[in-house]
Amino acid sequence: MLIEALLYDGKSSKEHKVTLDFTFGRRVKIDSHGIDVALEDIIIESRLGNTPRVIEFPNGVRCKSAENDKLDQVLLDFNLNKSKTHKIESSLVLTLGSVFLTIGFVWFMLTGGANYTANFLANILPQSSLNEMSELTLKKLDENLLEESNLTKIQHNIIQAHFKKLANGDSRYKLHFRSAPEIGPNAFALPSGDIVLTDQLVALSRDKEYRDILGVLAHEKGHVVEKHSLRMAIKTGIASVIIGYVTGDISIIASTVPTILVNSSYSRDFEREADAHAVKEMKKMGVSTIYMAELFESLSKKYESLENNSTVGSLMSSHPLTSERIEYFKSHAN
Amino acid sequence: MEELTRDIDGVESLQKKVHKIETKIDELQDDTNRKPKHNFKYFEFKGNASEYFRIWIVNIALTILTLGIYSAWAKVRSNRYIYANTYLNGSNFEYNADPIRILIGRIVVVSLYALFLLFTQYMLMPKVAGSIAFIAFIAMPWLVRQAVGFKLRNTSYRNVPFRYEGKVSSFYGFFILHFFLNIITFMLIFPYSYVKFKKLILNNSHYGDGDFKFSGGTGDAYAIYIQIFVWSTLLVFGVVLFFGFIGAGVGAVFGDMFTSFKSLIGPEIVPMLVGAGVFLFYIPFIFWNKGFTDGYFSNFVREKTTLNNAPLKGEIKPFKLGVISATNALAIFFSLGLLFPWAQIRYLKYKLEHTAFACEDYDQFESHGYVTGSTVGEEMVDFFDIDIGL
Repeated sequence: MLIEALLYDGKSSKEHKVTLDFTFGRRVKIDSHGIDVALEDIIIESRLGNTPRVIEFPNGVRCKSAENDKLDQVLLDFNLNKSKTHKIESSLVLTLGSVFLTIGFVWFMLTGGANYTANFLANILPQSSLNEMSELTLKKLDENLLEESNLTKIQHNIIQAHFKKLANGDSRYKLHFRSAPEIGPNAFALPSGDIVLTDQLVALSRDKEYRDILGVLAHEKGHVVEKHSLRMAIKTGIASVIIGYVTGDISIIASTVPTILVNSSYSRDFEREADAHAVKEMKKMGVSTIYMAELFESLSKKYESLENNSTVGSLMSSHPLTSERIEYFKSHAN
Repeated sequence: MEELTRDIDGVESLQKKVHKIETKIDELQDDTNRKPKHNFKYFEFKGNASEYFRIWIVNIALTILTLGIYSAWAKVRSNRYIYANTYLNGSNFEYNADPIRILIGRIVVVSLYALFLLFTQYMLMPKVAGSIAFIAFIAMPWLVRQAVGFKLRNTSYRNVPFRYEGKVSSFYGFFILHFFLNIITFMLIFPYSYVKFKKLILNNSHYGDGDFKFSGGTGDAYAIYIQIFVWSTLLVFGVVLFFGFIGAGVGAVFGDMFTSFKSLIGPEIVPMLVGAGVFLFYIPFIFWNKGFTDGYFSNFVREKTTLNNAPLKGEIKPFKLGVISATNALAIFFSLGLLFPWAQIRYLKYKLEHTAFACEDYDQFESHGYVTGSTVGEEMVDFFDIDIGL
């Protein structure tokens, strides 16, 4: 078969118009340049759209031909390997398939898929590394934000007794009392099982036996059991990698805006999981969840200005709306 | 008789004069023919968005299915498409990178980054992570040198590859000196650094045995920065003023209605309106500014660069490139990324088709042959989206 091409000898930038002759003896000839080589000695570039394809000859000679259909026919006639990628790209069904696969994959990873991956990674990470990490975090918090607790001996003992029951002999769980004027009423759990409770939250308690604080501690234990902080870190990573890869150039906005939305919805799910854990533990111990609802009520009174029922609020806040949570704990109170 | 001979003499001398004038005219004509001296030819881009979209989406799908391994082949395929569709004087460019080498580079970079993340985020061993970051920082000039070399040696035109011959030591010299100069002068010296960097890149670039030369001056770079600053400020000012007038007008006419409306919807709507304003104006402005700046500097570099004394020319309209950049960003955002290939081609096509090169002899370049080298620098620059502006 004869194919029109341009020849560059690889020594200079001169361009020559030539005709390639593919003969039945599996040889390629260019008479004008005295080239006569075996078909096996040349490399025909894979097809890419309708761009001219490079045909590499020995000795650095290259030819370029835009006669793509003829070249494909040559490959077919001589039983040479043909790249399959162009076949996928030129098939309407397969490109549409690629679109759906990509959209589906991104959607899956941003919703459920990241969860599986994060769970998997969280489970194979050794506990010792989690402990080391938590120890350092607590140390940094102590240096910067936390102060020594000012709770009375009685308060301390009651809450510690609750926690002992909750931990149920598992030495992983340790309770740390701290005062945190800057953070305010809060409690948080580190992946190692260290749980920090602030005096400011204890001060909001309306129950003398601190059964509401028991609920909070059960909630935090839920975070530890489910490895929420680690899962969160992994998910954020996955989300930003995907969004960054797909959007390419506009990554500046594209990777921050959705990450914030995704993150807050992730953590809302995590809070719900931890709440469910708290309800379970409290029921097991025979403590009514109404105390938890009451604690949230006093919390929400303190933060009335921050929370409201607007859609913006519910989309952006990382905790489920307080009113939603109050209802949840009330519904389990009986 | 005498009169006759005198007449003949006269005619002969007249003829001589005419001949002289004729040759003079010829010379003048030659001069005018030579006057536009440079025969500028524009770059052409022949690719189209639908073909490129197919390549792009199949690249992504195959990358997903192979857990990322195909990404190296994907990079080669999309670059090949763009290079092969770029024409100058009827001949197209070639992208020659080897996907296997790119894959190795990517694995090295991603593993280093993963190690860094592991040490900072999960193991909390800042000293180890710090030393990884420190080594990467120290290696930066060398990696940038590698990335420049990678881009040039893998580009060829008419089977003659480009070459880069800058020394690693010059990169260390440049980065150390200009790092401190910029700190001391609070970045005021940046245009000077820009010109020096372009010189480091272009004056060591070659096409075959042809030499690139960049002759841009620091004064030009300062002038461009000032122009960009002035025009961008004027644009922002104009838009703010425009919306301010409309806002004031609306406020004056519907003043009472507006206040009651505000109390009706509550204060949380205000940040939402501000957010919408930011999205509608500020974000497109960032992208407009990116294209605007790129337009100015692309023209500057083209105007001041020659290859064996043959000049390049840039006729990009910075404002228009800015508009293309901003509308591209909006199109990508609202199509959830699907219009990315269309936008990429649109931007590139505009830039290429407003770039020209005046070469007298396209056949003159002798090749130095193809070489291979490390891909780590290129992949590092690629991974962290570092723009070295080639």
